[in-house]
Formats: sequence, C-alpha cells, structure tokens
Amino acid sequence: MEPLARSAVGVSGGPRDRGDEFVVALEAVSRGIRDPVAKLKYIRGSLNRYRTLNRCVRAIPLRGFRRQVYRWLSLEGLGPLLVSDPFGAAPPVELRTRASRYASRAALASFTLLAAAGATLAAWHLSRPAPMVKAAAPAALPAAVETLPTLPAALAPAAVWLVEKGEGSEQYSNGLRIDLSHAVDGEPRRYHVFAEHGGLLPELHDQPVGLLFHTSESDIWPLEASFNEPLRDSSQRLLRYLQRNRTYHYLVDRFGRVFRVVNEDSKANHAGHAVWANDGRVYLSLNNAFLGVSFESRWEGGKALPITQAQLAAGRNLTEYLRQRYDISASMCLAHGLASVNPRKHLIGHHMDWSRGFPWAAFGLPDQYQTVAPAVALFGFGYDEDFLKVLAEPWEGVRGGERELAGEAVRRGVTVDQVRRDRQGLYDLWIAAQANAEKGVDRALTNQGPVRPAGNVG
Amino acid sequence: MVEERKDHLWKIAQEAEERIDDLTKTGASPLGLDVGTAKVVVSRRKGKEIESGTELNAFIPVPYSKFTETILGQNDIAYYRDGEELVIYGSATERFANMFNAECRRPMADGLLNPREKRAMPVLEAILTNMVPKPRTAGETLAFSVPAAIPGREAALTYHEATLRGFFQSQGYKPVAINEGLAVIFSELEDHNFTGIGISCGGGMCNVTLAFLSIPSILLGIGKGGDYIDSAVGAVVNEHATRVKSMKEEGVDLSRQPKDKFERALRIYYEELIETLVEGLTKQLSSADKLPRTDRPIPIVLSGGTSKPRGFKDIFEKALRTRTLPIQIAEVRMAKDPLTATARGALIAAMYEK
Repeated sequence: MEPLARSAVGVSGGPRDRGDEFVVALEAVSRGIRDPVAKLKYIRGSLNRYRTLNRCVRAIPLRGFRRQVYRWLSLEGLGPLLVSDPFGAAPPVELRTRASRYASRAALASFTLLAAAGATLAAWHLSRPAPMVKAAAPAALPAAVETLPTLPAALAPAAVWLVEKGEGSEQYSNGLRIDLSHAVDGEPRRYHVFAEHGGLLPELHDQPVGLLFHTSESDIWPLEASFNEPLRDSSQRLLRYLQRNRTYHYLVDRFGRVFRVVNEDSKANHAGHAVWANDGRVYLSLNNAFLGVSFESRWEGGKALPITQAQLAAGRNLTEYLRQRYDISASMCLAHGLASVNPRKHLIGHHMDWSRGFPWAAFGLPDQYQTVAPAVALFGFGYDEDFLKVLAEPWEGVRGGERELAGEAVRRGVTVDQVRRDRQGLYDLWIAAQANAEKGVDRALTNQGPVRPAGNVG
Repeated sequence: MVEERKDHLWKIAQEAEERIDDLTKTGASPLGLDVGTAKVVVSRRKGKEIESGTELNAFIPVPYSKFTETILGQNDIAYYRDGEELVIYGSATERFANMFNAECRRPMADGLLNPREKRAMPVLEAILTNMVPKPRTAGETLAFSVPAAIPGREAALTYHEATLRGFFQSQGYKPVAINEGLAVIFSELEDHNFTGIGISCGGGMCNVTLAFLSIPSILLGIGKGGDYIDSAVGAVVNEHATRVKSMKEEGVDLSRQPKDKFERALRIYYEELIETLVEGLTKQLSSADKLPRTDRPIPIVLSGGTSKPRGFKDIFEKALRTRTLPIQIAEVRMAKDPLTATARGALIAAMYEK
C-alpha cells in the first residue's frame, strides 16, 4: 500500500546509535511473543531498566559530564520512551519534583567523576535488554554458549550408570539427573537404512544410532531473578506442548534441568525430513534413527541464542549418557540444521536450528560444520536466497558437498546441474522406497506377522 | 508418518490459553472498563474468551409514582428513586426519552464527569455498580479508560480520574487509569509491538494517542464526538439529538451520496469532525519536539462508536492524504470491534498490572 502521509523530516537518517540498536533488538524479541500481556511485560520490563539508568544519570551533579554520559549512553534517543507515566494517565501525586531533583544532585555533588563513571558503566551493563539480542555478527561466530570457567582436574566415572531411580527421576553417575514427570510413550521405533552404494537394506532397526540437537524455538526470557516466573512458566508450557506432540526425546531447560519427553524406545517427531550419512550408510527422515535433544533456546538472526552454562553442563552429561548407552559414534551427533531438508524443492536448510554456533568442542564432539553435507554430496540438494538471507554463507560442509558434485561432473563430462538432477532423482526413489518399506512395517505390526522389508532400490 | 512439528512451536499457541486457565483456576478476574461519554463497556475474561458488556451512559428522571415504579421493576428497567423522582438509567433511557420526546441526560460530557449535571456521579456509580461485580478478592486490578486532556481542562481531567479511582477503590479494586487511545493500541496493535496511532472516536470527544513500543508519546483530545454530530444535525433538521442518535444508529453509510437533508447534514458534520481530527493530529505531530525514531511506517487504528459508519475510514484516509506528517503512515485500519476495543485494551492493561 502506498504510504498515506509522506515523511517531512528524516526520522531514521544517519548511523544507528546504541539506543537504536536497543530498540531494534527489543522489537526483534518481542515480535516473537504472541500473547499481548506477555509481550507488554517484556517490552515494559526492558524499557524500565533503561528508565532506571536514566534516573541514575540525571543524578550526576556536573552538567557537562552528565551531558556527555547521556550522549555516550544514547539516552537522548530513547528519551521519549522513558516517561514516568506509561499508561498516559497522570499518576495521582507527582512525587518527583524539580526541587527534589536539584536537591539530590546537590547531595551527590561530593561523588567523584570516577565513581560516577564507574556507576554509569555498571548501569549501562545492567540496561542491556537481554544477552541474547546482541546484533548478529555476519561471519564466523563463537559457539553460542556462555563461557564456562576451566574446572580443576577431578575424578570422572569410567562409565555412566544408573545410580538411582526414583518415582519421578533417574540419577546417573556422571551427575545427570533426568526428570521423568513428562515422559510419555510414542510410536515404536522401526526404521530401515540405505547403503550408500546399494540402496535400501532389508534389516529393520529399533535402536537409535544418532543424536540430533535442536533449539526449542520457544519464548526466551532474560536469565534474571526478576523474570523467574515467566522463565519457569514458559518451560512448563513448552514441556506440555512437547509432550502432547511427542516432539523430542529430551528437553534441557534454561536452568539445566533435563526432562525426558518421549521415551527412548519410541520415535519422536523431531527431525521430519532430514538426511545424514556416515560410514557408507545413509539415513533418511531421522525421526526414528536419531534421538532428539532440544535446548530451550531459539534460532534467531542467523544464530542460536546463547544457551546457559547449566544447559551446557547438563547437555554434555546427557550426550555422554546417550552415546554410551546406545554406542553412538561422535560422527552421528549433529545439529538439526545440518540435516534438515525440503524434499519437494530439494533444498537444504528447511529448519536451521544450530546450523551455526553449536559448541561441539565443549560436548567432546567433532566440528560437524566441516563434515561434508550428505544432502548436498549424495543427493544434489541446493539452497535458495532465503537460506542465504539467514546464514549469508553456508557452512563448510555444504561447500565440501558442492566440490564433490563438481568433481563428479568433471569425471562424467556433464554439467553440475545434470549431476544434481540425477542425484535428486535418486533421493526421490529412495524416499519412495522408504515409504513403501514403512507401509510394510505398519502392515506387519498391525497383523503381528513377519516383517518383509521392500527390496533394494539402487 | 514423517512430521515436521517445529514450525508450530514458535510460538506456542496454547500458551496464552493456559495462562488464562491459570487465571481462572486462581479465581483472578481483572477487568477492563471503557468509561465513555455515551457508553460504558466492560471486558473480562470468561474462560478462554473475552466477554464484553455495554451499557448506555445516560439517564432520564421521571416523576415518582408507585405505579411507575412497579412497571419499571416488572420490566427489569434499571432505576433508583431520588426524592420525588425515579431516575431511569442505562439502556432503557433512550426508549423512555423517545417515548416522552425528551432528551437523555448524561453523567458525562466531553469525556469527563459533567460538571453541570448534579446527578452525574450518583448515576455513573449506579451504572458502574450494575456492570462491575464486587471483586472476588480484595485488590483485584481494574483498568479504566480516561481521555486525553483537552487544553485548559486539565484540572477537570484530574478530578474525573480521581473520582473514578476513589469509587473503584471503595468497591475493593486496585484501579489503574489508562489513556483511551493507548488502550486501543493495546487491543489492536499487538502485531506492531504496540507501536502506532490509536484513535477512539466516542460520543463526547475523540482521543488520539501515538505510542512507540507501548509507551505513549503524544496524547491528544479533540472536543468533538458523536454528540456534537447529533446536536449539530438535530439543529439543522429540527430533531432532538437523542432522536438523531437513534436514527444514526439504525445505520449510516458515508460511502454513498446522501439521499435527503438528514443524510446530507450527517455527511457534512462527519466530514467536519474528521477534518478537525486529522488537522489536530497533524499539528500535534508536527509540533512535537521529540518523536522516537522509527524506520518503519506506522499504522493507525480507528475505533469507537462514532467511527463505525461505513465510509468513515475512507474519509479519514482522504483527509490524511492531503497532509504531510513527520512520520510515515503504513495503513489505516478499523478496530476488530470498534465498540469494545478500548475496554479490551484496558483489560490487557489490567492483566499486565496484575
């Protein structure tokens, strides 16, 4: 629609100052909150902190220095948002008079510039809306996790075993505690595997062979005591939702609590159309073959919001336990974004959570961003502009896959596009074969008869 | 079957519903109230829905007789006895006014308690008492709308707000006053992070609020509303304003050519009202020395009973196009329910304050 009234003055010209960044970040987070009351609480809460900072600065006695601090903190730009009457109705009694402000300034005159600067610095630190809404850096990002201090060497158990099982929890020897209060059964796990050079294999599997790390894509509140209620409540609501939809096997909440959602012997609806390959074996649609571990966090602006130290420690223990229990190799532990595909369009990056910034090293895992992307190398999948808008640059494994496609094109004397088309055709055949095999499994389960997997498709 | 569920997680639709469940379980019942010149609207949660009720903010006194009182009682008509008069108030008032060919009287005028009406507060209290139940727990939050101050009438606004606040406190509520235009923004512009212009065109006046991220930046009161149109048209067509209001509410279509003198007069005064409104908005925006910076065009939402006629939005847009504002306007839209938008916004404020 054509704008109804033209802008007479440039309201957005010039470079962004920190006040603008604050507002942009605040808007980005609040846009994701659907409930009006929750959204209002978040916006007002964030602005209140700037308001507090504003009051601190107003108390600085020296006018020139006060002005400098204002400018430095970009409070001028936010001035119109720092009103004392946020509902537009005058409060019954205005306590803060001009006289008292002068009095407070006079009382504070004895503070040194250094003290004021120190206080301001601290206040500025406090005023930032939330750690997860810093402006996104375009290129290489550090692992999206808060830094853990190095721990002194300590005794670690040789293996992870179940120490104790209570009514609502399991305690493991590596410190892992699993809350069972939300655990439910899903459909039984049954799946087929493909041989990279042979097609569908006849064996039917029921054990998980991999771990897929997710972000929960739910509300993320600032990790502060004042937000304890929404922090706690949003986790509980998330858990109930996950339970209803059998979405992940595990959720690690922001306080590091590990919840089993779908029992491990069931499949969970966490991966949908996803592709992975390892050691000559190819896995399509990973709901069955992989266990889904989700961190309560969100993929936003081309990266995951930082997980907490507690989440990292708990996630590491959980990974250790699952890998040991099911003998899962490190190369089969990956992020959802690295495997998710759109099968109809033959595109990677259908979901992008953790397609950047997963702390592999902290989990004792190899950097999977370097691993050649199977969807690209084996099935010729590509990516579109939307993908690049988010990531700017695909991870190295995608480039590796593209190099393999290009090498094959040279060997066969055809174009890369031709190679892609051939491989995408192969994917379509394999997906169809898998669907047929699943139908066979379903029939067999229904009839309680012997399972006859479909034949190989080359 | 392979399923992709992640899309549905962001953001969990059930979350809001479950929070409402919690409210219901704990017995909490915040209220939002639009105390308007012409109507009082109350909104509250009922289960997972918002329910709103409306009452005419008007009264008419009739001479007392036992017979009249019995008839009123038998017909469930709201009234109270004041000396030798029975004061009929609320929705039945218009019917009686038309029956007796008399004007309705109003406890409020121009958005505030009517200083010329001695029965203003007793009647308003009677109406509010009927609409607002006693809170289940003391200190329950109730947010009520107040207009923006019209220059020169700030003291009257303070009195109005303090009087209502005192009444709600006496009923056991924790009252919170919210600007009417801001309430419209709360109810209608959640999708814009509560940034935009909310306009409430009521009976006594029009309220305009520009808010950025829910914080009001500009508050503007225009001392013209539906009542002005009623009395101006009434003077031209020689009808009581109450009668004009009744005819108006039967349906006005400003998008087509007027058919008779009545429609011509309505059209003229609606256009004048809208011109005044848009001119006031333009002046206020242009003279504002500190507007928050924004990159995006912002929306305008129209609400209130006076904005309901078909074609109102088009005339407003036309008036807007002839002016240059210091901010870009993305769209003009009507509130989902213009009559209850303010009350629903006040309810959001009450739930926020809780």
